[in-house]
Amino acid sequence: MSSESLVAAATILAFGLIVLGVAFGSAIGDGIVASKAVEAIARQPEARPNIFTFMFLGVGVLEAFPIISLGLAFYLLLVVANVPGLLAHLKH
Amino acid sequence: MKEGIGSHSLWTLPVLGPVHADTILTTWLAMAVALILLAYVGSSYRSPSVGRTQTVFEGIVDYISDMVFGSLGKTGEPFVPFFISLFVFIFLLNQFGIFPFKELGLPFGGSPTGDINTTIALALIVFVLIQVMTLKRKGIGGYAHLFKPIFLAPINILEEIVRPVTLAARLFFNIFVGELLFIIIASIVTAKVMIGPVNLSIAVAILPFFIQFFNFFVGTVQAFVFTLLGIVYLSLATAEDH
Repeated sequence: MSSESLVAAATILAFGLIVLGVAFGSAIGDGIVASKAVEAIARQPEARPNIFTFMFLGVGVLEAFPIISLGLAFYLLLVVANVPGLLAHLKH
Repeated sequence: MKEGIGSHSLWTLPVLGPVHADTILTTWLAMAVALILLAYVGSSYRSPSVGRTQTVFEGIVDYISDMVFGSLGKTGEPFVPFFISLFVFIFLLNQFGIFPFKELGLPFGGSPTGDINTTIALALIVFVLIQVMTLKRKGIGGYAHLFKPIFLAPINILEEIVRPVTLAARLFFNIFVGELLFIIIASIVTAKVMIGPVNLSIAVAILPFFIQFFNFFVGTVQAFVFTLLGIVYLSLATAEDH
Protein backbone atom coordinates (compact mmCIF):
# COMPACT_ATOMS: atom_id res chain seq x y z
CA MET A 1 0.00 0.00 0.00
CA SER A 2 1.56 3.23 -1.12
CA SER A 3 1.43 6.34 1.01
CA GLU A 4 -0.67 8.14 -1.63
CA SER A 5 -3.44 5.56 -1.42
CA LEU A 6 -3.30 5.68 2.39
CA VAL A 7 -3.70 9.50 2.37
CA ALA A 8 -6.54 9.30 -0.16
CA ALA A 9 -8.36 6.60 1.83
CA ALA A 10 -7.97 8.43 5.15
CA THR A 11 -9.16 11.72 3.67
CA ILE A 12 -12.19 10.17 2.01
CA LEU A 13 -13.06 8.42 5.31
CA ALA A 14 -12.70 11.70 7.19
CA PHE A 15 -14.86 13.47 4.60
CA GLY A 16 -17.52 10.81 5.02
CA LEU A 17 -17.43 11.12 8.80
CA ILE A 18 -17.76 14.91 8.63
CA VAL A 19 -20.70 14.69 6.24
CA LEU A 20 -22.30 12.06 8.49
CA GLY A 21 -22.09 14.26 11.57
CA VAL A 22 -23.17 17.37 9.68
CA ALA A 23 -26.21 15.72 8.11
CA PHE A 24 -27.23 14.05 11.38
CA GLY A 25 -26.95 17.16 13.54
CA SER A 26 -28.47 19.64 11.09
CA ALA A 27 -31.38 17.30 10.30
CA ILE A 28 -32.21 16.96 13.99
CA GLY A 29 -31.88 20.72 14.55
CA ASP A 30 -34.04 21.61 11.55
CA GLY A 31 -36.60 19.02 12.62
CA ILE A 32 -36.82 20.54 16.10
CA VAL A 33 -37.24 24.05 14.68
CA ALA A 34 -39.92 22.97 12.19
CA SER A 35 -41.87 20.88 14.71
CA LYS A 36 -41.89 23.72 17.25
CA ALA A 37 -43.05 26.12 14.51
CA VAL A 38 -45.91 23.77 13.59
CA GLU A 39 -46.87 23.48 17.26
CA ALA A 40 -46.85 27.24 17.66
CA ILE A 41 -48.95 27.77 14.52
CA ALA A 42 -51.44 25.14 15.71
CA ARG A 43 -51.72 26.94 19.03
CA GLN A 44 -51.94 30.47 17.60
CA PRO A 45 -52.84 30.42 13.89
CA GLU A 46 -53.10 34.23 13.77
CA ALA A 47 -49.37 34.57 14.56
CA ARG A 48 -48.41 32.57 11.48
CA PRO A 49 -46.40 35.23 9.52
CA ASN A 50 -44.40 36.14 12.60
CA ILE A 51 -43.65 32.50 13.38
CA PHE A 52 -42.60 31.88 9.79
CA THR A 53 -40.18 34.81 9.96
CA PHE A 54 -38.53 33.52 13.09
CA MET A 55 -38.51 29.94 11.79
CA PHE A 56 -36.62 31.02 8.68
CA LEU A 57 -34.30 33.15 10.79
CA GLY A 58 -33.58 30.19 13.07
CA VAL A 59 -33.01 27.84 10.16
CA GLY A 60 -30.75 30.41 8.49
CA VAL A 61 -28.64 30.87 11.60
CA LEU A 62 -28.57 27.11 12.24
CA GLU A 63 -27.73 26.11 8.66
CA ALA A 64 -24.54 28.16 8.83
CA PHE A 65 -22.73 25.61 10.97
CA PRO A 66 -23.30 22.55 8.72
CA ILE A 67 -22.43 24.68 5.70
CA ILE A 68 -19.23 25.93 7.35
CA SER A 69 -18.15 22.42 8.29
CA LEU A 70 -19.05 21.15 4.82
CA GLY A 71 -16.87 23.91 3.36
CA LEU A 72 -13.99 22.92 5.64
CA ALA A 73 -14.50 19.25 4.67
CA PHE A 74 -14.28 20.16 0.98
CA TYR A 75 -11.19 22.21 1.74
CA LEU A 76 -9.67 19.11 3.38
CA LEU A 77 -10.66 16.90 0.46
CA LEU A 78 -9.75 19.12 -2.49
CA VAL A 79 -6.97 21.44 -1.27
CA VAL A 80 -5.12 19.91 1.69
CA ALA A 81 -5.04 16.30 0.48
CA ASN A 82 -5.88 16.98 -3.21
CA VAL A 83 -7.68 13.64 -3.54
CA PRO A 84 -8.58 13.97 -7.27
CA GLY A 85 -4.90 14.56 -8.04
CA LEU A 86 -3.91 11.57 -5.87
CA LEU A 87 -6.46 9.32 -7.56
CA ALA A 88 -5.33 10.38 -11.01
CA HIS A 89 -1.75 9.69 -9.91
CA LEU A 90 -2.72 6.23 -8.63
CA LYS A 91 -4.46 5.26 -11.88
CA HIS A 92 -1.30 5.65 -13.95
CA MET B 1 -13.91 23.32 -14.28
CA LYS B 2 -12.65 22.59 -10.79
CA GLU B 3 -9.89 25.17 -10.92
CA GLY B 4 -12.51 27.88 -11.44
CA ILE B 5 -13.57 27.91 -7.81
CA GLY B 6 -11.60 29.90 -5.25
CA SER B 7 -9.20 31.34 -7.82
CA HIS B 8 -9.36 35.03 -8.62
CA SER B 9 -7.72 37.25 -11.18
CA LEU B 10 -5.48 39.76 -9.45
CA TRP B 11 -4.76 43.46 -9.75
CA THR B 12 -1.62 44.76 -8.09
CA LEU B 13 -2.26 48.16 -6.55
CA PRO B 14 0.58 50.47 -5.41
CA VAL B 15 -0.15 50.49 -1.67
CA LEU B 16 -2.56 47.62 -1.06
CA GLY B 17 -0.74 44.94 -3.01
CA PRO B 18 -2.67 42.26 -4.92
CA VAL B 19 -6.47 42.54 -4.84
CA HIS B 20 -9.17 40.32 -6.35
CA ALA B 21 -10.13 42.03 -9.61
CA ASP B 22 -13.20 39.95 -10.45
CA THR B 23 -14.74 40.51 -7.02
CA ILE B 24 -14.24 44.26 -7.25
CA LEU B 25 -15.63 44.48 -10.80
CA THR B 26 -18.70 42.41 -9.89
CA THR B 27 -19.28 44.51 -6.79
CA TRP B 28 -19.14 47.69 -8.88
CA LEU B 29 -21.61 46.15 -11.32
CA ALA B 30 -23.96 45.23 -8.45
CA MET B 31 -23.61 48.75 -7.04
CA ALA B 32 -24.48 50.24 -10.44
CA VAL B 33 -27.50 47.94 -10.76
CA ALA B 34 -28.66 48.78 -7.24
CA LEU B 35 -28.22 52.54 -7.75
CA ILE B 36 -29.99 52.62 -11.12
CA LEU B 37 -32.81 50.36 -9.93
CA LEU B 38 -33.39 52.27 -6.70
CA ALA B 39 -33.11 55.65 -8.45
CA TYR B 40 -35.75 54.48 -10.94
CA VAL B 41 -38.01 53.22 -8.15
CA GLY B 42 -37.51 56.42 -6.15
CA SER B 43 -38.17 58.74 -9.10
CA SER B 44 -41.32 56.91 -10.15
CA TYR B 45 -42.64 56.96 -6.60
CA ARG B 46 -45.10 59.82 -6.98
CA SER B 47 -46.83 58.43 -10.03
CA PRO B 48 -50.51 57.71 -9.37
CA SER B 49 -50.45 54.07 -10.51
CA VAL B 50 -48.76 51.60 -8.17
CA GLY B 51 -46.77 49.09 -10.20
CA ARG B 52 -45.37 45.72 -9.29
CA THR B 53 -41.83 47.02 -8.71
CA GLN B 54 -43.04 49.65 -6.30
CA THR B 55 -45.12 47.09 -4.40
CA VAL B 56 -42.10 44.79 -3.97
CA PHE B 57 -39.86 47.60 -2.73
CA GLU B 58 -42.52 48.95 -0.41
CA GLY B 59 -42.80 45.45 1.02
CA ILE B 60 -39.04 45.30 1.66
CA VAL B 61 -38.98 48.79 3.20
CA ASP B 62 -42.00 48.05 5.40
CA TYR B 63 -40.61 44.73 6.55
CA ILE B 64 -37.16 46.00 7.52
CA SER B 65 -38.42 49.19 9.13
CA ASP B 66 -40.88 47.09 11.16
CA MET B 67 -38.00 44.93 12.35
CA VAL B 68 -35.86 47.97 13.22
CA PHE B 69 -38.68 49.69 15.11
CA GLY B 70 -39.60 46.43 16.80
CA SER B 71 -36.18 45.84 18.31
CA LEU B 72 -34.72 49.37 18.57
CA GLY B 73 -37.84 51.40 19.28
CA LYS B 74 -38.10 55.04 18.24
CA THR B 75 -34.33 55.52 18.54
CA GLY B 76 -33.80 53.16 15.61
CA GLU B 77 -35.20 55.52 12.99
CA PRO B 78 -31.82 56.78 11.64
CA PHE B 79 -30.74 53.21 10.94
CA VAL B 80 -33.66 52.19 8.72
CA PRO B 81 -32.05 53.39 5.43
CA PHE B 82 -28.75 51.76 6.38
CA PHE B 83 -30.30 48.35 6.98
CA ILE B 84 -32.50 48.55 3.88
CA SER B 85 -29.49 49.32 1.70
CA LEU B 86 -27.50 46.57 3.46
CA PHE B 87 -30.23 44.04 2.68
CA VAL B 88 -30.64 45.08 -0.96
CA PHE B 89 -26.88 45.18 -1.53
CA ILE B 90 -26.19 41.74 0.00
CA PHE B 91 -29.18 40.27 -1.82
CA LEU B 92 -27.88 41.55 -5.17
CA LEU B 93 -24.33 40.37 -4.43
CA ASN B 94 -25.60 36.89 -3.53
CA GLN B 95 -27.71 36.55 -6.66
CA PHE B 96 -24.96 37.66 -9.05
CA GLY B 97 -23.49 34.13 -8.98
CA ILE B 98 -26.44 32.92 -11.07
CA PHE B 99 -25.26 34.73 -14.21
CA PRO B 100 -22.48 32.80 -16.00
CA PHE B 101 -20.33 35.88 -16.76
CA LYS B 102 -17.05 34.08 -16.04
CA GLU B 103 -17.92 31.15 -18.28
CA LEU B 104 -18.59 33.59 -21.13
CA GLY B 105 -15.03 34.90 -20.79
CA LEU B 106 -15.81 38.23 -19.17
CA PRO B 107 -13.37 39.49 -16.50
CA PHE B 108 -16.07 39.56 -13.81
CA GLY B 109 -18.60 37.07 -12.50
CA GLY B 110 -19.45 34.84 -9.59
CA SER B 111 -20.88 36.05 -6.31
CA PRO B 112 -18.71 38.69 -4.64
CA THR B 113 -19.93 37.31 -1.31
CA GLY B 114 -18.28 34.02 -2.27
CA ASP B 115 -15.03 35.87 -1.51
CA ILE B 116 -14.30 36.23 2.20
CA ASN B 117 -12.88 39.76 1.76
CA THR B 118 -16.30 41.13 0.83
CA THR B 119 -18.12 39.53 3.76
CA ILE B 120 -15.45 40.59 6.27
CA ALA B 121 -15.75 44.16 5.01
CA LEU B 122 -19.54 44.08 5.39
CA ALA B 123 -19.30 42.57 8.89
CA LEU B 124 -16.70 45.22 9.87
CA ILE B 125 -19.10 47.96 8.75
CA VAL B 126 -21.76 46.58 11.10
CA PHE B 127 -19.20 46.08 13.90
CA VAL B 128 -17.87 49.65 13.65
CA LEU B 129 -21.42 51.02 13.54
CA ILE B 130 -22.26 49.14 16.74
CA GLN B 131 -19.14 50.34 18.57
CA VAL B 132 -19.66 53.97 17.45
CA MET B 133 -23.30 53.91 18.51
CA THR B 134 -22.40 52.38 21.88
CA LEU B 135 -19.91 55.17 22.51
CA LYS B 136 -22.30 57.86 21.26
CA ARG B 137 -25.40 56.74 23.17
CA LYS B 138 -23.84 55.60 26.44
CA GLY B 139 -20.26 56.88 26.46
CA ILE B 140 -17.49 54.68 27.75
CA GLY B 141 -19.92 53.29 30.33
CA GLY B 142 -21.59 51.37 27.53
CA TYR B 143 -18.88 48.75 27.92
CA ALA B 144 -19.48 48.34 31.67
CA HIS B 145 -21.71 45.32 31.14
CA LEU B 146 -18.71 43.43 29.77
CA PHE B 147 -17.06 43.53 33.20
CA LYS B 148 -19.81 42.24 35.42
CA PRO B 149 -19.05 39.81 36.85
CA ILE B 150 -15.37 40.61 36.52
CA PHE B 151 -14.15 37.02 36.12
CA LEU B 152 -16.31 36.58 33.01
CA ALA B 153 -14.79 39.65 31.31
CA PRO B 154 -12.53 37.69 28.88
CA ILE B 155 -15.47 35.57 27.69
CA ASN B 156 -17.70 38.63 27.26
CA ILE B 157 -15.03 40.48 25.28
CA LEU B 158 -14.42 37.39 23.16
CA GLU B 159 -18.16 37.14 22.46
CA GLU B 160 -18.17 40.75 21.29
CA ILE B 161 -15.27 40.10 18.90
CA VAL B 162 -16.57 36.75 17.63
CA ARG B 163 -19.87 38.27 16.44
CA PRO B 164 -18.54 39.96 13.26
CA VAL B 165 -16.39 36.90 12.55
CA THR B 166 -19.41 34.58 12.59
CA LEU B 167 -21.43 37.09 10.56
CA ALA B 168 -18.75 37.11 7.86
CA ALA B 169 -18.12 33.34 7.98
CA ARG B 170 -21.84 32.50 7.81
CA LEU B 171 -22.47 34.58 4.69
CA PHE B 172 -19.21 33.56 2.98
CA PHE B 173 -19.52 29.81 3.51
CA ASN B 174 -23.19 29.66 2.53
CA ILE B 175 -22.56 31.32 -0.82
CA PHE B 176 -19.20 29.63 -1.43
CA VAL B 177 -20.45 26.10 -0.70
CA GLY B 178 -23.47 26.76 -2.92
CA GLU B 179 -21.15 27.52 -5.85
CA LEU B 180 -18.91 24.59 -4.91
CA LEU B 181 -21.83 22.13 -4.86
CA PHE B 182 -22.96 23.42 -8.24
CA ILE B 183 -19.52 22.87 -9.75
CA ILE B 184 -19.13 19.42 -8.17
CA ILE B 185 -22.51 18.25 -9.50
CA ALA B 186 -21.60 19.69 -12.90
CA SER B 187 -18.31 17.79 -12.83
CA ILE B 188 -20.21 14.57 -12.04
CA VAL B 189 -22.42 15.24 -15.06
CA THR B 190 -19.44 15.80 -17.35
CA ALA B 191 -17.47 12.84 -15.93
CA LYS B 192 -19.71 10.24 -17.72
CA VAL B 193 -19.80 7.60 -14.99
CA MET B 194 -20.60 4.34 -16.84
CA ILE B 195 -21.86 1.11 -15.30
CA GLY B 196 -22.01 -1.32 -18.21
CA PRO B 197 -23.90 0.40 -21.03
CA VAL B 198 -25.82 2.74 -18.66
CA ASN B 199 -24.58 6.31 -18.31
CA LEU B 200 -25.29 7.11 -14.65
CA SER B 201 -24.41 10.78 -15.07
CA ILE B 202 -27.65 11.36 -16.97
CA ALA B 203 -29.49 10.71 -13.69
CA VAL B 204 -28.03 13.78 -11.98
CA ALA B 205 -28.28 16.06 -15.02
CA ILE B 206 -31.43 17.70 -13.59
CA LEU B 207 -29.78 18.44 -10.22
CA PRO B 208 -27.94 21.70 -11.13
CA PHE B 209 -31.33 23.31 -11.76
CA PHE B 210 -32.48 22.48 -8.22
CA ILE B 211 -29.16 23.51 -6.73
CA GLN B 212 -29.38 26.88 -8.45
CA PHE B 213 -32.90 27.30 -7.05
CA PHE B 214 -31.62 26.32 -3.60
CA ASN B 215 -28.82 28.90 -3.99
CA PHE B 216 -31.38 31.58 -4.77
CA PHE B 217 -33.28 30.65 -1.59
CA VAL B 218 -30.10 30.51 0.51
CA GLY B 219 -28.92 33.87 -0.84
CA THR B 220 -32.20 35.52 0.09
CA VAL B 221 -32.33 33.95 3.56
CA GLN B 222 -28.70 34.79 4.30
CA ALA B 223 -29.11 38.43 3.24
CA PHE B 224 -32.11 38.58 5.55
CA VAL B 225 -30.23 36.85 8.40
CA PHE B 226 -27.24 39.19 8.04
CA THR B 227 -29.50 42.25 8.23
CA LEU B 228 -31.59 40.94 11.12
CA LEU B 229 -28.54 39.88 13.16
CA GLY B 230 -27.05 43.32 12.60
CA ILE B 231 -30.26 44.86 13.97
CA VAL B 232 -30.29 42.47 16.95
CA TYR B 233 -26.64 43.15 17.83
CA LEU B 234 -27.23 46.90 17.55
CA SER B 235 -30.27 46.66 19.82
CA LEU B 236 -28.28 44.60 22.35
CA ALA B 237 -25.50 47.19 22.35
CA THR B 238 -27.70 50.30 22.60
CA ALA B 239 -30.48 48.97 24.87
CA GLU B 240 -31.24 51.40 27.69
CA ASP B 241 -31.04 48.95 30.60
CA HIS B 242 -30.62 45.22 30.94
